[in-house]
Amino acid sequence: MIRFRSIISRIVALHVVAIGVTSVVVPLAFYLLLNEAANTLHRDALRSQAFTIGSFLRPQSDGKVTLDIPPEMRPLYSGGYGLYAYAVLDPDGHVLFSSRPDGSALFALDEQAIRDWYVRRRSTGAVLFGVSVARAVADRIYFVQVAQDLTHRDVIIDDVVSSFFPRVAWITFPILLLLLVIDIVIFRRALHSVREASMTAASIGPQRTDVRLPERGVPTEVAPLVHAVNQALDRLEAGFRAQRDFTADMAHELRTPLAIARARVDSLEPGPLRDQLRTDLVNMGRTVNQVLDIAELESFLVATDARADLHEVCVEAVTLMAPLAVERGQTIALSGASGPVWVRGHTEALFRAVRNLVENAIRHTPAGVSIEVEVTADCRVRVLDDGPGVPEADRASIFRRFWRRDRATGESRGLGLAIVSRVAEAHDGSVTVEGRQGGGSVFTLRLRPAAS
Amino acid sequence: MRVLLVEDNAELVSLLTKGLGQSGFSADSVGTVEDAINVLATMKYGAVVLDLGLPDEDGLVLLRDMRRKHDTTPVLVLTARDRVSDRVTGLREGADDYLPKPFAMEELVARLHALLRRPGNLLGRLLTFGNVSLDTEGRQVFVDNAARTFPARETAVLEILLRRGGHVAPKRVFEDQLFGLSGDVGSNAVEVYVHRLRKMLGDAGANVRIHTVRGVGYLMAEEKRG
Repeated sequence: MIRFRSIISRIVALHVVAIGVTSVVVPLAFYLLLNEAANTLHRDALRSQAFTIGSFLRPQSDGKVTLDIPPEMRPLYSGGYGLYAYAVLDPDGHVLFSSRPDGSALFALDEQAIRDWYVRRRSTGAVLFGVSVARAVADRIYFVQVAQDLTHRDVIIDDVVSSFFPRVAWITFPILLLLLVIDIVIFRRALHSVREASMTAASIGPQRTDVRLPERGVPTEVAPLVHAVNQALDRLEAGFRAQRDFTADMAHELRTPLAIARARVDSLEPGPLRDQLRTDLVNMGRTVNQVLDIAELESFLVATDARADLHEVCVEAVTLMAPLAVERGQTIALSGASGPVWVRGHTEALFRAVRNLVENAIRHTPAGVSIEVEVTADCRVRVLDDGPGVPEADRASIFRRFWRRDRATGESRGLGLAIVSRVAEAHDGSVTVEGRQGGGSVFTLRLRPAAS
Repeated sequence: MRVLLVEDNAELVSLLTKGLGQSGFSADSVGTVEDAINVLATMKYGAVVLDLGLPDEDGLVLLRDMRRKHDTTPVLVLTARDRVSDRVTGLREGADDYLPKPFAMEELVARLHALLRRPGNLLGRLLTFGNVSLDTEGRQVFVDNAARTFPARETAVLEILLRRGGHVAPKRVFEDQLFGLSGDVGSNAVEVYVHRLRKMLGDAGANVRIHTVRGVGYLMAEEKRG
């Protein structure tokens, strides 16, 4: 599950986690390193003291040694002060000198082997931490031990370590936050070109298939995506063009011979045969037009910002179809809204839909019927007739292509209502047919209001 | 009246030439935009009938070329490209009329007459539909060849209907031409004159009827026999 959908929010979220981890890890690492540094300081101090004490060993003529610590250094090792302790052992482990009141060694000699230089011993709960340094005096080896009681370690160094957290480590947190803000700014700038490409992409529609996303200035990481999208658009445009060319070529190939046939028939001597041929040609011409409309509407998309005046569309459709209605002895009228009704849609496609609805009403009702086209402000066109109506069982199938009730004899409804249905679908609308009280049918085309 | 036919289909050209000849037009024909441009540079025609699907160029190229040269010869566009995605209005840019294929010969002739009858042309003083005619100069009405005189506004209504015989004349056109900008058009003022005209034509024995297309306009159609 992705909770953060934008790149910025993902970066912020991951960055906050990173800050959380870093603001714990970094001070901790600092603390450990500082502690290590403090320990090294202690060890060096202990070792140099061991060397200093070793240098006070003086050989005697009897083969023994004396330890002569200067008076100013003695308080360091006095038991009361308790900061350091020393002991000098001979190679056999006998204690020659010791700062301890009981004159004992700080560490047994065998303990040295365990941790080489540094050894510990627990006595009365205190932890001794010290060093043992070998020193040769008059050809004899002596071991000088210096140790410190860890419970009384040098407080200055320890203060540095313990005050590091409250005084210094807090600064990492604001620094990391500042880094976060800087990163957001950087990313917003980096993604600017991507946002521009998105806005260009939003303008691409069936009417503007030539638009391509800008590839210049897009970050290298995003460029392959933009390039791939542009290539996909190239293929789409080619498909669109192939479809457009196909319907245009087909129109030319079908309509020109029809025009020739029509002109030829028109040049015949007047008579019933000529009239019959004319009617046949008109019907064939209508079917060709409908087939072309269906072929074109198959891939027809309505631009999201397309606006059409549904009232004007209905006026034109009624104007065009009225002569046919009058010829068939029917009356036709337009009612409802008297001003513009703006719907989301393509004017010419909607015109063909309404025209086909009206034509369907004219052709499938007998003489004497009144047909009313009603356009309402809620983006609806209703075509009402008081003819025989559509049987309830046929109401769903009537919008199918070339549907006929009885395959053997029934008159085909042709493609007219299929065109209406396809146009409605392309406009995210609907078309339905219902019965009317007292007979007749109502076809309702519902559309969506134009974006304001 | 000479018209130039710009069409590449030889068969259609010969049929149209013949058909136009029978209706009193004499037609010259060319098959390409290039030829048409050359011919139009030297000859003056009453009208151009232009097919859009030509072998060398789109017919609209010729139309634009003519209009750029301020050639105002009326152009009637024939097209097989009557597509949903084509804006018919856009196609009409610069063209005076537009006729999708296939079309009836008499429709083409009627449209050509309408184009040539425009202001500046002396043709078409007599408008006829069915057995009703109107002399647009003398304002004289003839029904079945008998001269009648109708009141001015009824005659104006008749003229609008005759000019669009067989097609719907929008209500707005009547309002504009009858009352101009004076406004004050009662909601049924046009209906009153149409009603009177209907009665006059009926009394005079006209074989045309004026149909009301409520919400849109009026339509004059020939009365059906039987």
